[in-house]
Amino acid sequence: MLAAIPAAAWMLAFFFVPLLIFAVYSFLTTRLYDVETPFTLQAYRDALSDPINRTLAWNSIVVGVLTASICVGAGLPIAYWLRFVADRSRLAVLFLITASMFASYLVRIYAWRTMLGKNGIINEALRAIGVIDEPLNFILYNRFAVVIALVHIFLPYVVLVLYAGMNPVSPSLLEAGQDLGASSSLLWRRVLLPIMAAPSFNAFVFVFVLSASDYVTPQFLGGTSGATIGVRVQTSFITLGNWPLAAATSFLMLASFGLLHLVGSALLRRMHLHDIRLAS
Amino acid sequence: MVSRQRSPFATAVVIASLLFLFVPLLVVVLFSFHSVGALTLPFRGFSLRWYREIWKSDEFRTSLVNSAVVAAATGAVTMVLGTLAAYALSATRSRLRAPLALLLFLPLTLPGLFVGLSLLVMFGRAGVSLSLWTVAGAHLVYVMPYYLLIAVATLQRLDVALEEAAADLGATRWVVFTKVTLPQVWPVLMGATFLAFALSFDEFVITFFVIGPESTLPLYIFSSLRRTVDPSINAISTLLLAITLALFALSFALTTRGGRDQALAVPVEGGRREQQ
Repeated sequence: MLAAIPAAAWMLAFFFVPLLIFAVYSFLTTRLYDVETPFTLQAYRDALSDPINRTLAWNSIVVGVLTASICVGAGLPIAYWLRFVADRSRLAVLFLITASMFASYLVRIYAWRTMLGKNGIINEALRAIGVIDEPLNFILYNRFAVVIALVHIFLPYVVLVLYAGMNPVSPSLLEAGQDLGASSSLLWRRVLLPIMAAPSFNAFVFVFVLSASDYVTPQFLGGTSGATIGVRVQTSFITLGNWPLAAATSFLMLASFGLLHLVGSALLRRMHLHDIRLAS
Repeated sequence: MVSRQRSPFATAVVIASLLFLFVPLLVVVLFSFHSVGALTLPFRGFSLRWYREIWKSDEFRTSLVNSAVVAAATGAVTMVLGTLAAYALSATRSRLRAPLALLLFLPLTLPGLFVGLSLLVMFGRAGVSLSLWTVAGAHLVYVMPYYLLIAVATLQRLDVALEEAAADLGATRWVVFTKVTLPQVWPVLMGATFLAFALSFDEFVITFFVIGPESTLPLYIFSSLRRTVDPSINAISTLLLAITLALFALSFALTTRGGRDQALAVPVEGGRREQQ
């Protein structure tokens, strides 16, 4: 146990202590680029009543839900393919998907800007084959572009999580169902989806939290309709110098993430889907 | 032997996803070799001019060196502290194991925005001036959980009988660790260290808040993205992709040496301690 002390001490000093100080800041009064007493709930009131915050929070929720839904929706068939369909190509596909996880975050954002722009690859390609005459303007600098780039960033993680969830399911389980005449939609509904409910929910929350709080992608791809609450937190802190407001907004976001997780877990438990153990 | 399922739909999703994941990156790489300044079709021929251009920039070279220094420091400290912590986590049956694991793995769940902001606040409070060292200190928090995921999984799969035999023959715990445990796992630990290096090399979200006047490669890309629109960004991006992907491939090769896809943290069927 003693061997863990250096790492644990580092985590305390560079993770928990800073978070505690940040939490204290959320209850202090703002002074430009600083804080002062008295302790107050004003920052929380400001964060909740600010109309810009509300709009941006709503944008974040939409972006987070769309990104997480697309990731899980595409991740389930991919995990299924890796577990039950693939033969020798399985390891190669797994390698490619894991490798793409390590492609630089900023490079992906940049890549989508060159793909989706007015004179971007997609517009030029469509024009070259004669599908359109005028470039499509609606694909960059909006929510759609942000969601596309975030799906690109998080899909590999989701595939790995769902594949790990699918791994304990024996192929013979599906075969037994098929021998008894079950259609594949029945197998998905009655066998795979109940087993995958908990991992899918975990992956959903993971992607929702990280995409709803992302502050870089919306700056480059989001325009006005794609701006999110993460950008607001960053500008409250850096540009406006209102530290308590940035802190209060952060902790409200964290609280809602925690609430989402609690409510979802409770629902899974009520539906008896939270911990399905498979006899091997 | 069970036969494979057939599913044209799932196969189509896999192919579409691989195209979706790789085409945009390949386009970035392709245009880094563009002979003219345009970033879109038609492609007018290959040249290395954008690589020569960025290499002339002092700011770029300094950022590259800074990133390497930060990543090396982060990787080295992560390896030492992470290996010790992973050993403790895998060996202990203490009641403190659960809170300890929580302490070490929790940063995995918190968005970098909050980690970065709260560190910035703490450094400001403590009067620590921001530099590459504050960046490395912050990166350690970010990469440690990933290192531990791999290291703990590997150490738990080891056959305890070997360690017990050594201990029965009178070896001290330190000797058991260095002469029996480490030789079995060092390739995986090296692989995990390269992973830590790669994660640190590419980190932007936290770095943005805790860096001083210096720049790292991702920060350089960030400011280029706001300034310029020409293929020199593609050239920098291609270099960054090449570096992180090479580190990943190295890490993948080392961590999968023992069993085919252990590095992917996919539980091996049949449970722990059946290897070797």
